[in-house]
Amino acid sequence: MPVLTGPTQLTPLLSNEAVARLERLRLNSSRRFTDKRRGEHVTGRGGTSIEFSDYRNYVSGDDVRFVDWNIFARLHRPYLKLYRQEEEMHVVLLVDASTSMLFEDKLDMARRLATALGIMGLFGTERVSVYALGHSAAGAQVLAPCTGRASMMKLFRAVEGLEGGGAEPLEVGLEAFLRRHTGRGVAVILSDFLTFGDLSRAGNRLFGVGLEVWGIQVLGPTEIDPDVTSDIRLVDGETRDTLDATCNADLLRLYQEYRADHERHIETLCRQRAGRFVTISAAADVDAVLFDLLRRRGWVR
Amino acid sequence: MKLFGFYALSSAWLFSLLLPLILFYFLKLRRPRHDVPSLFLWRKVLEDRRVNSPFQKFKRNLLLLLQILLLLLIVIAAMQPYFRSRQARVHRLPVLIDNSASMAALDRPDGVSRLDVAREKVQTLIDGLLPDQELCLVTFARSAHKRTGFTNDRRLLREALDQVTVEDVPSDIEEALRLVQSLARSTPFDEVLLFSDGNLPPRVDIEMSFNLNYQRLPPAGANLGITSLNAQRAPERRWDVFVRVEGSSETATGAQLELRQGETVVASERVSVSRQDSQRVVFRVQGDQPSDIEVRLTPDSVDSMESDNAVWLHLPAARPIRAQVPGHLASYRHALAAIPDVELAAESAAAGEPCDLVIRDEPPGTGPTARTSLYIGCVPEELKPLVRVEPKPIEVVDWERNSPLLQHVQFRDVIVLEDPQSAPGTQTSQFENLGYAILAHGPHGPLILRRETPDGLTFVCLFHTDRSTLPYRIGFPILVANLVQVAMRHAGVAEVEAGRTGVLARTTVTAGAACTITGPGGVSATATADTHGNLAGVAAPRAGCYTVAVSGGGKVPVGASLLSAAETGLASVEQIEFSENLTVRAESASVKTEKPLWAALSLLAFVVMLGEWWYYQRRAG
Repeated sequence: MPVLTGPTQLTPLLSNEAVARLERLRLNSSRRFTDKRRGEHVTGRGGTSIEFSDYRNYVSGDDVRFVDWNIFARLHRPYLKLYRQEEEMHVVLLVDASTSMLFEDKLDMARRLATALGIMGLFGTERVSVYALGHSAAGAQVLAPCTGRASMMKLFRAVEGLEGGGAEPLEVGLEAFLRRHTGRGVAVILSDFLTFGDLSRAGNRLFGVGLEVWGIQVLGPTEIDPDVTSDIRLVDGETRDTLDATCNADLLRLYQEYRADHERHIETLCRQRAGRFVTISAAADVDAVLFDLLRRRGWVR
Repeated sequence: MKLFGFYALSSAWLFSLLLPLILFYFLKLRRPRHDVPSLFLWRKVLEDRRVNSPFQKFKRNLLLLLQILLLLLIVIAAMQPYFRSRQARVHRLPVLIDNSASMAALDRPDGVSRLDVAREKVQTLIDGLLPDQELCLVTFARSAHKRTGFTNDRRLLREALDQVTVEDVPSDIEEALRLVQSLARSTPFDEVLLFSDGNLPPRVDIEMSFNLNYQRLPPAGANLGITSLNAQRAPERRWDVFVRVEGSSETATGAQLELRQGETVVASERVSVSRQDSQRVVFRVQGDQPSDIEVRLTPDSVDSMESDNAVWLHLPAARPIRAQVPGHLASYRHALAAIPDVELAAESAAAGEPCDLVIRDEPPGTGPTARTSLYIGCVPEELKPLVRVEPKPIEVVDWERNSPLLQHVQFRDVIVLEDPQSAPGTQTSQFENLGYAILAHGPHGPLILRRETPDGLTFVCLFHTDRSTLPYRIGFPILVANLVQVAMRHAGVAEVEAGRTGVLARTTVTAGAACTITGPGGVSATATADTHGNLAGVAAPRAGCYTVAVSGGGKVPVGASLLSAAETGLASVEQIEFSENLTVRAESASVKTEKPLWAALSLLAFVVMLGEWWYYQRRAG
């Protein structure tokens, strides 16, 4: 993956052109989990924004400033004009930084996507925080919640400094993150999701605290299409466990079936919790993912 | 006897490679390590396969089993196994190949000849020859030829087989079997393989010390051919040419028969013949001058043999014969004067004048000679120790009635005043040893003798006919007429017959001349005429017109083109009867040789290797 450098380059993770395009995109959450803080997300509740919502009868105690005097002049009855409430959404970027993510630039892809989603959040006046999962220091916070475009450089530095390595399972990292997190919004998990543990409990707890679960599975090219033949000894990158296998077409076909099943399982887990799921290759073009795939899938608008 | 064998059993040591193969497999000395981000999916996949696949232990070591199978196949192929057949059990096998004229017959137009089919079968035998087997190729037509000794040198056998060509002569299986019998004395064997189209005599008088495997080749197509051509003197200096056409087809087949005299077509006639119905055609041609005639047959439909479609015959001039008889033998001169086509020399003719017939009453060697001579009233010098003549009246006791000289001659009641008496203890064989055959017997010894030498034919009458009542009998002019006929035949002016293939007909050229004989198919030979100018014994294996080039100049065309009727008829015998009630039937099954299996095993090993590669290297679809 090319590293972008240059005196005017904002971050080596994304090109300036991509950053400029990302500034115009917004995250498109489906369930509108928002904080009470004022933000750009229109909620179902009535509010004080300039966007008209409905009329209702005036009752005693209502603020007379919201009475529609034009209607009162015609009907001689007071009606209250209602406006929508715009609230802030917390975007939590959970980057799996375990050792397995170090294979085939998977962590790089995750960092780029996290940066891009963070930019969208900051420019959408959301609160953005970044966590690294998989480290021994469970749930290490990389970027504390921040808002506004002024925090963009802070976001860049935080993600750029995110190091990989660690053997902590993803579900353990998520549990640790939940213990210190507050706020509603969207939790974007950038991981390969290759864990022996059960993600259901962590997913339930995420949903329970008001976070939409967005899963982005980043897999290496050889994970998507393994290039192994004959007798080999498979070595786990995290645990260094070994597994002897005699690889042939049947085995590879079975692998693909299992991989598809696993993806379906994670996707179901996300969808049941008002979330989304997508699998991308670490070798994919990040611009294509951001400006084509995610837009077509409705993740951003 | 084992059904399988190995050409290279020594290669079995390669089986020891199994040990390192198994050892290396289980030791897994260099099992490649492959890092993966997580074993999460792989562990599930492998567990699933172990649970759901039957024959777990087998599949776990499938690669090893395939490698062992591959190695076994390669090693066994290297040992060159073969499947033995019945012929493969024979260590020495003489192979008799019929290359007579009928073996040139094709199965269809532009098809293959019988010899080609036989050659193909023998080629298969040679290809399947085992290291401990030896073949001996013997071809036979008119005579048998040993092409190779017992050998397993395939190249030598193939070369010898390639050199076998058809000879336009009838086959003589007896001579071939005698040759093989003589081989058996020095190199014993149990079986002899015979490849023939079946154009053989049904009975063979020979005792065999081996089994004969008679492989009859598939029948050929229909054939038409000329089986006989001869000419006889006709009145007015002409020749009657007799042609016989025979065929092998059951149904009548038409053909055009054409006769050329020199370069001119003098006669043509349609014929229609079948196997049961041959046709004889007579043409009359002029005989003023010597000429060469060619009779050519052009069949309307399929004809499997070409060699019997054209026959050549040299016709001498139809001249009278010259006879020389002394004047005092008036009875003979009188009898000869009454016979046409006899030119009687004058009484005062010089002794050196050429003549065809001489009749003298002096011992041989004292006067003029001719190809046919009759000496009367004298005893040749070589017979004097055996015979003496006594003046005593006798009668003829017995005579050879079938002899050409004595046909229709009646000696009964003939009184002879001289009595030739054999010396005491003289046996008939003593006359025969001197070349004489007794034609008429008296009470005490022979009366008339016949002797044929390269110089000519000599009749010796030990009594003088003038001192007998023979000249007064009706048998005397018949005797003289018979003598003229014999003389004419001997001089070649009464009847001529087309030469048959095999040996060139006797030709008369300059005495002692060296001759070069060239013939059809590139046949070439040299020979020297004897002191009498006779050129004989020259081989003529191909049908056609031969040319005898005499060293002193001049060329003589000689035809040798007649095949036997059996060859033209393509008759085929189902069985051959031998002495002692032994019958050999044609084998219904073709000869089977051992089958080398190494190629099949190599192919199988390749398939296993491909299968292994496909199983382990293919990409999931």
